[in-house]
Amino acid sequence: MAKKITGPQLILANRLDDGRAVFLTASGTWSNTAADSAVAENEAELDTLMTVAQAADLANLVVSVTPVAADTSGDAIAPAHIKFAMQARGPSVRADLGYQVSPNWEQ
Amino acid sequence: MYAYDTYDHAMVNARVAEFRDQVDRRMKGELTEEEFRPLRLMNGLYLQLHAYMLRVAIPYGTLSADQMRKLAHVARRYDKGYGHFTTRQNIQYNWPKLSETPDILQELADVEMHAIQTSGNCIRNVTTDQFAGAAADEVADPRPYAELIRQWSTFHPEFSFLPRKFKIAITGAAQDRAAVKWHDIGLVLKKNETGEIGFEVLAGGGMGRTPVIAKSMRDFLPVPDMLSYLEAMLRVYNEQGRRDNKYKARIKILIDAMGIEEYTRQVNAEWEKIRHVPIDVPEKEVARIKAFFAPPPLAVSADDVAEVTELANANFIFKAWLNNNAGAHKVPGHAHVTISLKPHGGIPGDASDAQMDLVADLADAYSQGEIRVSHEQNLILPHVAKKDLPALWAKLDEAGLGTANAGLLTDIIACPGLDYCALANTRSIPIAQSITERFDDLKRLMDIGPLKIKISGCINSCGHHHAGHIGILGVDRRGDENYQLLLGGSGAEDASKAAILGPGFNEVGIVDAVEKVVAVYLGEREDEESFLNAYRRLGPDVFKEAVYGTD
Ligand code: HEM
Ligand code: SF4
Repeated sequence: MAKKITGPQLILANRLDDGRAVFLTASGTWSNTAADSAVAENEAELDTLMTVAQAADLANLVVSVTPVAADTSGDAIAPAHIKFAMQARGPSVRADLGYQVSPNWEQ
Repeated sequence: MYAYDTYDHAMVNARVAEFRDQVDRRMKGELTEEEFRPLRLMNGLYLQLHAYMLRVAIPYGTLSADQMRKLAHVARRYDKGYGHFTTRQNIQYNWPKLSETPDILQELADVEMHAIQTSGNCIRNVTTDQFAGAAADEVADPRPYAELIRQWSTFHPEFSFLPRKFKIAITGAAQDRAAVKWHDIGLVLKKNETGEIGFEVLAGGGMGRTPVIAKSMRDFLPVPDMLSYLEAMLRVYNEQGRRDNKYKARIKILIDAMGIEEYTRQVNAEWEKIRHVPIDVPEKEVARIKAFFAPPPLAVSADDVAEVTELANANFIFKAWLNNNAGAHKVPGHAHVTISLKPHGGIPGDASDAQMDLVADLADAYSQGEIRVSHEQNLILPHVAKKDLPALWAKLDEAGLGTANAGLLTDIIACPGLDYCALANTRSIPIAQSITERFDDLKRLMDIGPLKIKISGCINSCGHHHAGHIGILGVDRRGDENYQLLLGGSGAEDASKAAILGPGFNEVGIVDAVEKVVAVYLGEREDEESFLNAYRRLGPDVFKEAVYGTD
């Protein structure tokens, strides 16, 4: 059964090995950047994305797969809720860590 | 300090090997996340917003210089060059890789440290007074008893799956620096009329969504009976505590439901059954453990040291540091020194690898190689000769560790909040930073005097906001960060619950509100009256009026 949604959604997870927040893209890969997220506009699209995401969970690539509301009003797609937006950016008190530095800041 | 015997070493090493195998199986997919999660939590490994988080136990907040160097090494080699000291006298690393965690735990095991019982529904790391063994006002050093409790509770088969987490705190001084009344069990060392040492036993305290101050259930428990009595207390809770609802599973809820008299009656009945079976440790073993905590060989010397007085007269900042960060030691001519991890504008409780290394070196040079972590998220050098204070302060100050604010308004406790924590509603750290920037004036801070601000990013209360003279609690207001202001709490021997003053604020409004509250205090205080005493005398109304206006 499809989950009821009230607006566009994107899929967030943590990489299994280092726990970094990652975003499901339209090609079924996981990106470091929220802007690359695939967006589901309705329940059927969300179902399709979740099927892909859960396969990655089963393949031990990611954990904690979570569909979250997407903010598509700006230039770049981002999670709408502050909590998931923080996940996309990194700790606000360490400007030297997080996606504000670069998509690959963790290396 | 306690030193592991071969049994302790074997136990901790076996645990690391076991976890290495579990991680390996998880990475290969032989364990699902559902199967693996409880295993990693038993080893202190959480998954947070941006990465895993490893919580390492610092038993009763005592560290050797070599252990601190290892913590610095772990921060440098496996993390991002820093660690966060917590209100439970532990350290948290914010960026460990799952695959490297077994290596971290092995390195920690090499210096007799681990992450066991830092998570889960077991008896957690026992906390105590950060000045234990050094404070001039203590009846006895609480650490040998904390160590006995640690040995008794580690892997205790009956108490590894309690209804909920269980926290014990113990203090050896009448001035409570360990917040014992806010713990599931609080123990206060005292002497009876005949000079014998024992404990006042308190039970049922806790924070979270139902803040409760512990109640006294026994005025004097002789020291040799400690473990059998704790066993009876835990057994009654384990058998009767609720398991149907995790918010109602703490001992505070059980005691509230049955009453402290009935709980005491049941504990005493259970204790009569078990007090003569060998749970309590023979005197010889107690003496062996006590020997590890024997007072260091400090030479008694004069309390007045000319170089110290001269520098204090010449340098206001040193004078303030001496006043706020150095305290009375048991041995004349010595002090215990609080190294503030609260630089103005900084992150409360964070220390870099270089700072940790420096503190280790300073401990070797000036404090018998010993370091403590306080529940107020500072580090302590417990045994410093007064003549060394000027040199010590100069080295700390150079490394950004000389902030002279211990016990003052900017010595703020703040939980990690939404900058790291997956359970958070709001950020905590930026509020602490804004407040310390707003009050960045040592003369003003010293005029305000002792004032404890404590900030939690959600109702779990890791930042002790219920016990703050000023408490700040982050709530989610329709997706926005919102901060409630609480006044009048205390974590000390005069423990009290802070009360919400009124509607919440945004992140700027909350700082303005704190400033207004402080202004009311300065205007209304009598003589040397502290903030807390003034609030208790005045009540909330004048503060409410100043913060929200009259209408
Ligand atoms: C970042 C990961 C953390 C998580 C997931 C976490 C989780 C929790 C939860 C769920 C509770 C409520 C327990 C209850 O009411 O039964 C709690 C309480 C508490 N935590 Fe944390 N916490 C975290 C970090 C911290 C930190 C960093 C500190 C120290 C600064 C801390 C210290 C405490 C304390 C003192 C309590 C109150 C205990 C009580 O209710 O009596 N925690 N934590
Ligand atoms: S109080 Fe809440 S936000 Fe703060 S660390 Fe605890 S669980 Fe996280």
